[in-house]
Amino acid sequence: MASLLSSNPTLASNPSYSFSQAPQNAAAGNREHAFYPYTDNGGSTLGITGNDFAILAGDTRSTSGYSINTRYSPKVFRIGGDDETGEGAHIILSVVGYAADGTALKERLNAIVKMYKYQHGKRMSVKACAQRLATILYGKRFFPYYVTAILGGLDEDGKGALYSYDPVGSYEREQCRAAGAAASLIMPFLDNQVNFKNQYSPGSGVGHDLEARQVTPLPFHEVEQLVRDAFTSATERHIEVGDGLQMLVITKDGIEEKYFPLKRD
Amino acid sequence: MTSIGTGYDLQNSVFSPDGRNFQVEYAVKAVENGGTCIGIRCKDGVVLAVEKIINSKLLKPGANKKIATVDRNVGIVSSGLIPDGRHFVSRARDEAASWRSTYKAPIPLAALAGRLGGYVQAYTLYSSVRPFGVTAIVGGWDSEGELGVDGQVGTGPTVGAGGKIAGTKAGGPALYMIEPSGSYWGYYGAATGKGRQTAKSELEKLDLSSGSLSLEAGVKEAARIIYVAHEDSKDKEFELEMSWISSMDGPTKGRHQEVPKDILEEAERLAKKAMEGDDEEETTAPEGETMEE
Amino acid sequence: MNHLPQAWGRPRDNVYGTYDASYLQPRLPQTHTQSPIVTGTSVLAVKFKDGIVIAADNLASYGSLARFTDVKRLRPFNSRSIVGIGGDVSDMQYLDRLLNSLDVTENYSSTGHSLNAKNLHTYLSKVMYKRRSDINPLWNQMLVAGLDGNDEPFLSSVDLLGTTFSSPTLATGFGAHLAQPLLRKLSDDESKVADFTREKAVEAVRECMKVLFYRDARSLDRYSIAVVTKESGVELKEDEHLEGQSWAFAETIRGYGRTQEV
Repeated sequence: MASLLSSNPTLASNPSYSFSQAPQNAAAGNREHAFYPYTDNGGSTLGITGNDFAILAGDTRSTSGYSINTRYSPKVFRIGGDDETGEGAHIILSVVGYAADGTALKERLNAIVKMYKYQHGKRMSVKACAQRLATILYGKRFFPYYVTAILGGLDEDGKGALYSYDPVGSYEREQCRAAGAAASLIMPFLDNQVNFKNQYSPGSGVGHDLEARQVTPLPFHEVEQLVRDAFTSATERHIEVGDGLQMLVITKDGIEEKYFPLKRD
Repeated sequence: MTSIGTGYDLQNSVFSPDGRNFQVEYAVKAVENGGTCIGIRCKDGVVLAVEKIINSKLLKPGANKKIATVDRNVGIVSSGLIPDGRHFVSRARDEAASWRSTYKAPIPLAALAGRLGGYVQAYTLYSSVRPFGVTAIVGGWDSEGELGVDGQVGTGPTVGAGGKIAGTKAGGPALYMIEPSGSYWGYYGAATGKGRQTAKSELEKLDLSSGSLSLEAGVKEAARIIYVAHEDSKDKEFELEMSWISSMDGPTKGRHQEVPKDILEEAERLAKKAMEGDDEEETTAPEGETMEE
Repeated sequence: MNHLPQAWGRPRDNVYGTYDASYLQPRLPQTHTQSPIVTGTSVLAVKFKDGIVIAADNLASYGSLARFTDVKRLRPFNSRSIVGIGGDVSDMQYLDRLLNSLDVTENYSSTGHSLNAKNLHTYLSKVMYKRRSDINPLWNQMLVAGLDGNDEPFLSSVDLLGTTFSSPTLATGFGAHLAQPLLRKLSDDESKVADFTREKAVEAVRECMKVLFYRDARSLDRYSIAVVTKESGVELKEDEHLEGQSWAFAETIRGYGRTQEV
């Protein structure tokens, strides 16, 4: 430091910074980018929980602009499974947005959940995994994973657990969440059908006397139908959604995968 | 060694008054007890062979390879300390890769031998290191065909500047042996390890300098020579490992590969047969020991 | 109390004077490839019953100039995979050398199994994603064609952003708009691959190359085509010529400066 000061008369004759965060170089001008490191691969995902299950679903279309890259590109993954097949997994993850980041995120979380098992000799809880995922996302706060993630599993009480995220790791546990291109189409439908928003007990009164309909967890078959209806409708109204619907259902018996065709137009 | 005990053998890089580096000479001792290795430079390829003494019946036959590939067209086999040999091979691979990254083409054998000689020699210069306890035989085939540079996308002009000269000759077989001192020579036939004297005298009988021995015949000779050289330590079982590099139009297409199982077995069969013939002529007492893996 | 958080903890200007940053060199940001220079256009590939067919023309353009007309854009990796590369040609050459050194080091372990097309695609996608994450992309889109670990046909794509996807038919660049719809008509689902023969697949790809030559101004009528099967490995032909062209339709085109009958 002394040599630095002695070589700089301006600084040597004036008090200098007493902390280490002195600017290292003058502020650069705005950086011009011809290369933009992100893209949007379209598609939508959706998660709903019940009393003893969680469903994560996503369409299987991948897009670039108006082009369809492929009609089968899964967005929902098993986390913490034994091998490529994901056998033995107890957590599910959906990612939608920029697919390459989605894949990278999925692989990182998968490796972490597996390492947890090898190092501690027990499965990572969904709650812990949810916090860890937030930490991973926030770790890239200044060059984010451009994805909306939803994490699903069963909590310590065996109840369906669902955590939804923003790209930089802000997260909360919810009953249901839609994400991706058609989130704005699906989410209001879910608010109404899962959380019974704007539903009132008939004849309970008018204005402030209206009694909201009691929210109760839905049975599995109803939830599955809701998911299918949501995607059928989203396919109709959004050009980036379609081709196929992939669903992972997690219960105490494990993870079941389902696939339903969607319109390919 | 008259100067032993005078202290000049205790440190590497130090000369004795009569101009010797004893540490290098001790390294040669390590080599002299290693399994016999030979290399034969044939007219259309190079063959490498090594006698692997089986130290334990628990070793898996065919595993624990001693001949290594460098780039695609070079093979290295060494006698002496096995880990030193591995490090030597690792360096050879790095040199080959570095040559490629600079010149976008495979390293010529002469250049590789030169670089390895220089590397080994450096280990005779410092008191903080010891010399390599290996003598390595480096065999390969410099492509005689026209190889494009790595990453080349087109064929380029056919005439004029950058055009091709018809009928030019390039490439061919190459065989070098590098010693712990770092000195290296090009050979028609090279041998090192325990049975090197026997092997060398057998190699000398082959008239290799005339360039008439074919690769196929070379493989058979190599197998026979290893068997002959093994005679002095026949109480120990051994396994024969062989590799070869042919010309571009030969069986390996200029690549270094293991000699295929059927050809190896045939060569071994002929080697054993030749040995039996020798036994009948030279000794009357039939030997109970058989030479199988 | 200064209410600007930026000023907290710093020497006060009114006591010490403003900070003199003049000694700090204004540093320009580090820049990498901002755009491709010499480029290759579309790559097409189709899966069929027991293999893959892949094609790309032999042109490297310099902007709108057809600069190099003998550029081989299908790069075989080993006996069971091949990579078709579009985009920047110098980046393609870098990738080719990278794959070459990968192949050399892979052969050092004599375990007997080599990288299959699926492994190769995974490797390339990691390379591409790493480079885009360093904001130093390799400006290419590639199709990896070959056989996977079970010797089944494999076809997948990766681009400069590290985006990957797989489909029974794939096309990059202009081909994604012109050829992909035609190819999807023939085989738009994994289930259709089983009844798609080699002859039909090759014919379809050749036909698409023709369509691309008609409509893609950065294309050429000389092209490379390769077929990968379990039986024969990679069969690569690098000097094919488009056959049966018909430019009769050009007579009917109006506009582009052509307004009256000749």
